[in-house]
Amino acid sequence: MKYSRIYAEDVKVGDELPPLVKGPIQQIQLTRYAGASGDFNPIHQDHEFAKAAGMDDVFAHGMLSMGFVAQCVTDWAGPAAVRKLGVRFAAIVRLKDTVTCRGRVLGKSSKDDVHLVELEIWAENQRGEKVVTGKATVALPSRDG
Amino acid sequence: MPIQLNKALIGRELQPFVVTIERGKIKEFARAIGDANPLYLDDRAGQASEWGDIVAPPTFMTTFRDAAGDNTDFLRELGTDISRLLHGEQEFELHRPLRPGDTLLCRSRIVDIYEKTGRSGPMGFVVRETVATDKTGEIAGAMRHITVVRL
Repeated sequence: MKYSRIYAEDVKVGDELPPLVKGPIQQIQLTRYAGASGDFNPIHQDHEFAKAAGMDDVFAHGMLSMGFVAQCVTDWAGPAAVRKLGVRFAAIVRLKDTVTCRGRVLGKSSKDDVHLVELEIWAENQRGEKVVTGKATVALPSRDG
Repeated sequence: MPIQLNKALIGRELQPFVVTIERGKIKEFARAIGDANPLYLDDRAGQASEWGDIVAPPTFMTTFRDAAGDNTDFLRELGTDISRLLHGEQEFELHRPLRPGDTLLCRSRIVDIYEKTGRSGPMGFVVRETVATDKTGEIAGAMRHITVVRL
């Protein structure tokens, strides 16, 4: 079930998060993301500008892909669970690309009733090339309350 | 001869700025990502949650900008322009969920500028850190942004 509650006790090292498939990327989403984020770099909107800058075409904001990866984590752990999220943008996401976000549990720790889970997170395009790689830390509730 | 970035900017503290998180902006941001989580979009779901209101998605701090600031001047001083920029890395630390009405003081600093030669030629890297504190002086969140400059 989507948005079901997950508890620290239910998580094992090596567990995989349910994959999240986003896209195909359309220009309108890049325009919406520009408005929502305030990043109006024309390289994401204007084909001529992108060409003049030496790119083949416009491409997606890295932060949009990071938003997808964050959604993969929050769909699983809950929107308020994320303590840390860090990524490297490994490759450009282009128009018409499909982005599949994935995650895997790397480790668990508990201290003072705070239960932290370390995740490896990444996103790949339809050719299986990694476009985002990174790590996240989420705090999960315990069944003991 | 590739462009030289102005390393004198290392350590530069940018003008602090204040942001107040707007309810509509959280929803617009979640919708732009295509994330329909009710804790971002549905005020009633937010009120019923342990947070008492909707919360912002984990990457929302990327919207924190100095409305009075002009990035063009900074890029000129750095020795480049917007057409050469790529986003290299990004990290967020969230000390608590961000909610509508939160007013945060944001302080940014250029912590490093360096060059490396990669597969696609010489690249410059500009590392900027921002810390957002609330009215009580507690850190609500922090972010680290690495901009790549195609030299």
